[in-house]
Amino acid sequence: MSTPSLRIRGLRKAFPRVLAVDGVDLEVARGEVFGLLGPNGAGKTTTLEIIEGLTAADSGTIEILGLTWEIHGQEIRSRIGVQLQSTSLFNKITPREALDLYGSYYPKRRSTAELLALVQLEEKADAYHITLSGGQQQRLALALALVNDPELVFLDEPTTGLDPQARRSLWDVVRRMKGEGRTVVLTTHYMDEAEALCDRLAIMDRGQVIATGTPASLISDLAMPSVVELTFEGMAPDSSAFAARLGQAVEPRADLWEIRTPDPKALLPRLLEAAEVGDVPFQQVHIRRATLEDVFLQRTGRSLRE
Amino acid sequence: MMLWRQFVMEWRLYSRDRVAMFWTMAFPVLLLLGFGTMFRDGGGPRLSLVRVLPQSPSPSDAALGKALVDLQLNVQTLSKAEAESRWSRGETAAQLEPAGAGYRLRLNSYLMAQAGATAGLVNQAYLMAQARLSGAPEPQRIPIQMESPGHKRSASYVTFLLPGLLGLNLVSMGLFSVGMVNVSYREKGKFRRLAVTPLPKWIFLLGQVLHRLTVTVVQAGILLLVGRLAFGIQNQGSFLDLLLIMTLGTGCFMAFGFALSGFAETSEGYAALSNLVFFPLMMLSGVYFTLDAAPAWLQHTVALLPLAPFIRALRAVFNDGASLAGHVLGLAIVGAWALAAFLLAVRRFRWA
Repeated sequence: MSTPSLRIRGLRKAFPRVLAVDGVDLEVARGEVFGLLGPNGAGKTTTLEIIEGLTAADSGTIEILGLTWEIHGQEIRSRIGVQLQSTSLFNKITPREALDLYGSYYPKRRSTAELLALVQLEEKADAYHITLSGGQQQRLALALALVNDPELVFLDEPTTGLDPQARRSLWDVVRRMKGEGRTVVLTTHYMDEAEALCDRLAIMDRGQVIATGTPASLISDLAMPSVVELTFEGMAPDSSAFAARLGQAVEPRADLWEIRTPDPKALLPRLLEAAEVGDVPFQQVHIRRATLEDVFLQRTGRSLRE
Repeated sequence: MMLWRQFVMEWRLYSRDRVAMFWTMAFPVLLLLGFGTMFRDGGGPRLSLVRVLPQSPSPSDAALGKALVDLQLNVQTLSKAEAESRWSRGETAAQLEPAGAGYRLRLNSYLMAQAGATAGLVNQAYLMAQARLSGAPEPQRIPIQMESPGHKRSASYVTFLLPGLLGLNLVSMGLFSVGMVNVSYREKGKFRRLAVTPLPKWIFLLGQVLHRLTVTVVQAGILLLVGRLAFGIQNQGSFLDLLLIMTLGTGCFMAFGFALSGFAETSEGYAALSNLVFFPLMMLSGVYFTLDAAPAWLQHTVALLPLAPFIRALRAVFNDGASLAGHVLGLAIVGAWALAAFLLAVRRFRWA
């Protein structure tokens, strides 16, 4: 295989009050959609902004398309596409003008009409930026990231704050990017997004990468890839007596208990028996495959949504 | 090409902000109309004198009165009480009142220029009145002639004011508006998206400077037109020279603004910083008073600041129709500042 799109070693960045990135190593292959998944404050955006050349790292090496910032700054800029977490454009610029203008900065560019069609902004092409909805602004930001026909695209929380329909249509655009052979690196704190879009993921927490792999392998690599849920009507009762009887950890959620297991078939009879004996007033039993949320939970002891 | 696009886009976005555009264009015009109306009468404000008469005026009081009027003084005769209250309000520059058998002239120490000139005329009038009363020949007077530094007899105060307004407006636009807009846009993250493109900083900055430069030229054009229509003030020199000076000056102070904006983190910080630069520049540039009495080292330093040579050249061309030949050194100083400020601006500029 040719050189990877992105290779990062030992990236570190401390801000006055917080160690934002604490020794991150990443490698992204060409043509891959790669996700950085983690809760807010995990260091995803800082990592991305260092890669994009917006923030200087304290230490570490970055290779983008085989190039480095120190030597090939301008070439990197002209070959990557970037969507920032919030793209603040001038209030009274229109999508058409913005695409024309930004396109003019690059040696190679895609036509404005084609980009407007790609993100379905033809009807708003001549409206002032300030009058666009959140989803439309986000789509314009995406189109701007593609204006130079980039080989490598960075998307920072591309769907945060969007309604479900707008998220789906953005996902379609990302899939099309992959179809066109671009490499995409995106950050998200939505596990469904990571699962739906990404070929491979790095899960980040507190400035470190705690796991890397495909969504499926991250889940199947778990010691306990299945979850049994007992749901209750209203709040779940105290679970400590039941856990003692079952001889297994029980994690109470708002209205359910979660019991993780490598082998749900073996657990189920014991579980039902313990519930019978303890007179546990549960409503239903569900068995489900673990999710990326569970991966995060099992590795950090905390929930992704906290 | 990139520069041209950047420039055109700046203008397009600017022209959409109607309110800001209106005030940028209208403010100096309003200032000119205001001052122009105040000082409309001929050669600047006339010298005026407050006079308090004794209970029963003598023939010599009457003779002095006539002589004062003959010397073109604007005499206002008031009762003692009225005159005192006017004096206390600080509105009187010079007051002539009876003292013993003769007179006393009180001069307002805060208004020395006017008071001093008035005092000279009053003393002349006194000698004239004495001579007339005694039938002696009137004392010879050295003839006085009002004239602008550029030898134009007709130049009035409004004429003097107009180039000053142009210059001041341009300095404040450079230091306050341009720099402030730059800092606040950076604060709001409006430049971050540009930072990840290959657009060079210097093209972005130069585009902004050129945009502002043309705004100023348009603005100056409007101001000159209003000055001409409302007050009949004409540019005495060549328009090309005027354009050259304005361009150089605008470029210089815009670059100042951009350079300063690289040193401030927030708009509040910028407000403080720009005032810190603006006031010394203003005070030391001989716009309000001359620095004849200042120590030599200060005068030498001040001679290197850009504002004074800029205003001087502007006035010389506009008011006196001078050629640029005598201002090459001054304009070179302005140009050197412009270049240095621009280089500093590019160096200090941060997208975010």
